[in-house]
Amino acid sequence: MTSVAATSSTFTFSAAAFQRLHPAEYFRKFVSQGVRPDGRLLSGFRPTTVHKSVVSTANGSSMVRVGGTTVVCGIKAEVAEPTLEAQDKGYIVPNVELSPMCSSAFKAGPPSEQAQVVSDAIDRILKDSDVVDLEQLCIEKGRAVWALWADVVCISYDGNILDAALLAVMTALTNVRLRKPTYDEGVVTVSGEALTEENSFSLTLTRTPLSTTFAIFDTPNNTLLADPNSAEENVSLGRITVTLDEKNQLCGVHKVGSGSCSPALIKSCIERAKERTQELRSLLA
Amino acid sequence: MTSVMSAVVPGQRLGHVQEYIAGPGTYSHQDFLYASVVGLKQVTTADGDERPTLSVARENTQTAIPEIDAIVTCKVVRVNPKFASVNIMVVDGKPCTDNFQGIIRSQDVRATEKDKVKIYNSFRPGDIVRAQVISLGDARSYYLSTALNELGVIYGTSIAGGTLVPISWQEMQCTKTKVIEPRKCAKPM
Amino acid sequence: MDRKRVAGPENAVAPLVEYPKDQLRWAPQQEHRHSSKRQPEDIRPIYLKTGLINQANGSAYIELERTKIACGVYGPRQKKASQLSSFSGKGTLNCEFKFATFSCQKRRHHIRDAQERELSQVLSQALAPAVRLELFPKSVVDVYVTVLENDGLAACLAAAITCASVALAHAGIEMLDLVAACSGSYMTVPRNALGQPQTDATTTAAGASRDEIWMDADLEEEKHEDGSIVLAYMPSLNQVTHVLQNGRAEGAVISQSVESCIEACNKIYAVMQHSLLESITNGKTQ
Repeated sequence: MTSVAATSSTFTFSAAAFQRLHPAEYFRKFVSQGVRPDGRLLSGFRPTTVHKSVVSTANGSSMVRVGGTTVVCGIKAEVAEPTLEAQDKGYIVPNVELSPMCSSAFKAGPPSEQAQVVSDAIDRILKDSDVVDLEQLCIEKGRAVWALWADVVCISYDGNILDAALLAVMTALTNVRLRKPTYDEGVVTVSGEALTEENSFSLTLTRTPLSTTFAIFDTPNNTLLADPNSAEENVSLGRITVTLDEKNQLCGVHKVGSGSCSPALIKSCIERAKERTQELRSLLA
Repeated sequence: MTSVMSAVVPGQRLGHVQEYIAGPGTYSHQDFLYASVVGLKQVTTADGDERPTLSVARENTQTAIPEIDAIVTCKVVRVNPKFASVNIMVVDGKPCTDNFQGIIRSQDVRATEKDKVKIYNSFRPGDIVRAQVISLGDARSYYLSTALNELGVIYGTSIAGGTLVPISWQEMQCTKTKVIEPRKCAKPM
Repeated sequence: MDRKRVAGPENAVAPLVEYPKDQLRWAPQQEHRHSSKRQPEDIRPIYLKTGLINQANGSAYIELERTKIACGVYGPRQKKASQLSSFSGKGTLNCEFKFATFSCQKRRHHIRDAQERELSQVLSQALAPAVRLELFPKSVVDVYVTVLENDGLAACLAAAITCASVALAHAGIEMLDLVAACSGSYMTVPRNALGQPQTDATTTAAGASRDEIWMDADLEEEKHEDGSIVLAYMPSLNQVTHVLQNGRAEGAVISQSVESCIEACNKIYAVMQHSLLESITNGKTQ
């Protein structure tokens, strides 16, 4: 690829330098040919893998790779008091950490805006779609419930963090094993024996929503890039994320960023998302 | 004449100082030469050298960093009457993964009539400029110069949004509106 | 209160764990160590791979059975405003060590705590002597380490140093040598009169105890240790870059432990070399 020389007026650059200086122009040259710099077609998704039970210190865990994006989700269970409004309901608290390790785009310190948006999106999908019946997490009504901290650590960032993180959270939730607790005068005790079918239980998920993201590259032509990587995210106007459950029921459609799009475009996104989520679901099983 | 030999890792002993000259990717410690990067060991024999040069060709290239005399390509981010602030994006044709900050002071824009230079008649924010590193500068910025014919603005957009083409050494014309804007143009090489 | 994260219940605590009375927890009195059938001088098998973070200039991932650590290296790049002091003719090595919230037995917090700050400093002290900082004036090399699973703190620190050193080399940063690190734990192991390790827990009174050094101890073993040592070492130059010793041990045992660590570092060095050379051949085929 380095042999391709791109010209800007009369000055010649290597392809790598040209991409650095004029990223949008660089992409437009590829997109006009119907391909993307990484060799994918515009509608192509990156290879995706899912692993379960990767961290033994967590109650449930998963590792998801979507192309160059790698995330690990670990769920830790702790005991907390329920709220007054929902005395028999536990908590599931998802948070996504985009550390400076995974990309130079992120700084150390409090979560960036992007991390907050992704954490919040997952939290809303879990709550609004009623993914887990939180009564399963009750230990003693009004006294003690399980709080599941679902923390997603991004190891390597290469775009489309929401799809990867949501897939990781869903996989980790199906992977959770909680020890059967005993409640005695304000103290919750679990057994230290090895995990067995008798002394522990898994969560029952009402549904498993999974998302598919498309980047809107340019508005007049409505060019969509499926599963954008980080370079493509940077040159795109906005993104459309479609979340579907296993019955292909919509759990959410989000369009973020500038640029407008037609209702027909959103419909075609939903159709393409149906195929993609079917593929992802086979990985989850 | 260059002969490529085995792959090495940092710290690996390559040879004796009396036999070889230390080239890039190596260092000498006491009587021996060692590799300092991961890569392929190479021995180069040049005419006139009493000893062959031992070097290690980097396999995973370190990101480019600006050095004195390097030709850099940068983007103008701010201008004020004293200097233009730029982000250095490419060093000697190699893109750097992260921007480095640099400034072009008004006295470094041209080689002649330095006191008549006006920064806003030379650069505008958004211009892509080719410049040379003249010093490591202060704690924050590298100091750059465009005081050579082939240095200066190589790509810019006009107020109307059209691409600018150079028409003289200090003027560029918009391709859309034909409006002429002042710039310190670079002579195409 | 943290407003930038999804809020959970405030006073969440880990449940009490009760172990059945008849089932004794592991203690250092069996004839072999906690995990598998390791001898005192054996270290856990190492899996080490470079290049998992494609946005970083260099990266590495290390696994020692349950210990899992990822490391990304960025730079040399411009110092951030917070790192800026005065002009420096030398480069800076900035290390940040972080435990994932789920990596330990007890849940950790998102915000960096005192222990993580201390480990960051140890990491940078252990690596800096090997990096040729004079070659990149006024720039910084950032080393970020994330522990995904912690199975023994001293071993975790040692693995982080090893992993970060490989990531630095992978980033093409000029170095004097790779830095291998290994940990050892001082254990008091009960022995019977014949000097054999005791197999039956009920006859403890019959023999005296003996100090042993168990290399690369895991979490269960670490709970019973008297102290530990972490040693960082440049194998090819035969120089030690950092020693961290804590706890109680006799002088002779400590000098013996330094020897054992160096021996183990040489074994680790072979793995590091192999993974870096492998990254070259992989680069060729792509």
